[in-house]
Amino acid sequence: MENGYWVLALIPGLPLVGAAANAAFRRRWGKPALAGTASAMVAMAFVATLASLVRYLGLESHDALSLTLWSWGVPGVGLGLLGDAVSLWFALVVTGVGLLIHIYAAAYMSDDPDYGRFFAELNYFIFAMSLLVLADGFLGMLVGWANVGLASYLLIGFWNERPAAAAASRKAFWVNTVGEVGLILAMAILWNQFGSLRFADVLPQAGLAQPEILNWVALLLLVGAVAKSAQLPLHVWLPDAMQGPTPVSALIHAATMVTAGVYLAVRAFPIFEAAPWGLTAVAAVGAASALFGAIVAVGQNDIKRVLAFSTMSQVGYMILGAGVGAYSAALFHFMTHAFFKAALFLGAGIVIHHFHGEQDIRRMGGLGKQLPFAYWTFLLGTLALIGLPPLSGFFSKDEIVVELLVTGHTGLWAVAVAAAALTAFYMTRLFCLVFTGDAPAKPGAKHRGQKGTTGHAAGGHDSGHGVPALESVPVLILTVLSVGAGVLWIPGITAVPEHFLGRVIEQYAGAGHAAAMDTGLAKTVTVAALMGVALLAMALAVRLYGPARQGAGPQPRWQSVLTNGLYLDDLYRAVIVRPLLASAAYVGGVIDPHVVDGAVNGVARLAGTLAVGVRRLQAGYVRRYALILMGGTALIVLYFVML
Amino acid sequence: MPGMAVQGYLVLSVVLFVIGLAGVLVRRSPLVMLMSIELMWGAAGLLFLTFARLWAGMEGHIFSFLIIVVGAAEAAIGLALIVLIFRTRDAADVDDVRALRG
Repeated sequence: MENGYWVLALIPGLPLVGAAANAAFRRRWGKPALAGTASAMVAMAFVATLASLVRYLGLESHDALSLTLWSWGVPGVGLGLLGDAVSLWFALVVTGVGLLIHIYAAAYMSDDPDYGRFFAELNYFIFAMSLLVLADGFLGMLVGWANVGLASYLLIGFWNERPAAAAASRKAFWVNTVGEVGLILAMAILWNQFGSLRFADVLPQAGLAQPEILNWVALLLLVGAVAKSAQLPLHVWLPDAMQGPTPVSALIHAATMVTAGVYLAVRAFPIFEAAPWGLTAVAAVGAASALFGAIVAVGQNDIKRVLAFSTMSQVGYMILGAGVGAYSAALFHFMTHAFFKAALFLGAGIVIHHFHGEQDIRRMGGLGKQLPFAYWTFLLGTLALIGLPPLSGFFSKDEIVVELLVTGHTGLWAVAVAAAALTAFYMTRLFCLVFTGDAPAKPGAKHRGQKGTTGHAAGGHDSGHGVPALESVPVLILTVLSVGAGVLWIPGITAVPEHFLGRVIEQYAGAGHAAAMDTGLAKTVTVAALMGVALLAMALAVRLYGPARQGAGPQPRWQSVLTNGLYLDDLYRAVIVRPLLASAAYVGGVIDPHVVDGAVNGVARLAGTLAVGVRRLQAGYVRRYALILMGGTALIVLYFVML
Repeated sequence: MPGMAVQGYLVLSVVLFVIGLAGVLVRRSPLVMLMSIELMWGAAGLLFLTFARLWAGMEGHIFSFLIIVVGAAEAAIGLALIVLIFRTRDAADVDDVRALRG
């Protein structure tokens, strides 16, 4: 363990400095200075991550970089940074994709009056997220965890003059609070069992605790992961979070923050493996979310909500992978997903700007001829997400699904393949509706007069002027990465994630997972199944929504059910929100005025009544006072004399 | 001075005290009440001196001096108050001075 590697502190530290500078000078500095500072800080953090990575690769296999930041003098509790394969893997994506999105946002947000606030909050997010993944214990992770929640809240509600955005940010914060309560309770049990909250103390001896207790720890940790990663049943905040600016959706609600649950599941995997129900619960949640997100995405009509449910579904794949022990595959899918989903979201931002704030894909079309750049990048991102070879999504998703079959989870395998088919269907539908067919009669005419109300910098781009370089370059880089990242793990040829992440994972891996099926056979079956259903679904989607699609009729009823997310939101509103509000109204309208105020006023009235009686004694007659004084004295004397 | 006949002094003291007490409780003229209070002071002082002589201690003497001083101060303040009350209210009866009733 190499301690005191100070470069680690730069990774969260520099973005924090950038956030402070942007916040302090947001009114005095020009926009280039604000965006430049923010981006430069993230760029330097990225360089620091690369430097840490080089240093880490030079260490012995099971060594890691670490840095103690603060200690309260209690062993096992403190704030420190840990640079091992898992945390550096995440930090690379957070700072790397973060940098690209900072650059994109410099152009995308250029018409927003709160430019400085935006970059301060974006930098603050990078700080919090790198703290989350680099912390060397559950305590530091919780600090980062809560801070990314706050950053997410601030950025979802960035256009806080819009009631929908304000409501969405509150919803995200509340749902995430549920997860944080779960995390804190899990930490309390861990502290009680192991006397430490540091990963290095807890994880190696995770198997020593009682299985029932570990079950609770695993379930509570899973609650935290589910809330942050928008998995069933706490996913409801993610679609609403699309009220935030599109770069925020790309960075926080697709590429990085929502994968914090995957990080937790992989980081704490010795606990999940030791708990009898741990992995089962993780896999069940992941599979259910992967399928649910894919089903609901089919019925969405808002371009960003399609991508949001797609994110939920893809994060479900990662959680599912972590639930069957395919940790390297889960983290590999996290990385490729960060690339292509960020590319898709940034492409969606270009599309939304082109249509002047319009987000309904039913009112789009024919963009392929007008914006060839967006067409091609979005197409490649879509194909990568669907998982067609040789794009990166193929290798990462395939790796997870194969692992399901190898470990004998045939049911989960079927769910994953079904979700993959739906993925191909909804992404092809999205792509066709936006980019093919005829352009709408008057692009965005409906929205032209609403710049102020939408809050969008809608006038930033006029149709036909193309895409500014600051926007196109990050999208291009991300597209190249989503096409090419697969070379990291071509089965049989390269296995970079497995070797690299294996340095951490094999450290604890106990039994190893019994292979229920020959790997080669599993690969053949899986690839054939995935490709077959994906191509079928794409063909079906092209037929339904392609250039030859019928004019938009009234939405069929089954689709409304999907658009509303199977009415889970309404269920929560009826079962949780309404009763809460009603009980609050009861407390405020009945209990407070009658019980609380009644007690207070009753005490006051009692004192008043008593005082009316007592005041008669104070008659103002000096001689009566003297008599009372004498009488009292006589009584006291009598008392002492008699006793 | 053991064996001293203290009863006489004690009886005198009690008589003086009761006269003073009765004066305070019964009379309504502030001036007379003040004089009655002085009478009680005197009774207390006499008691101190009696026992000081009986047990040959100095504490009683000290306290009797203290009583004289405090009594004088009290008389001065009391007289000043009475003068002020007479000036503002023209009342010769303490029962008429009851502005502080609850």
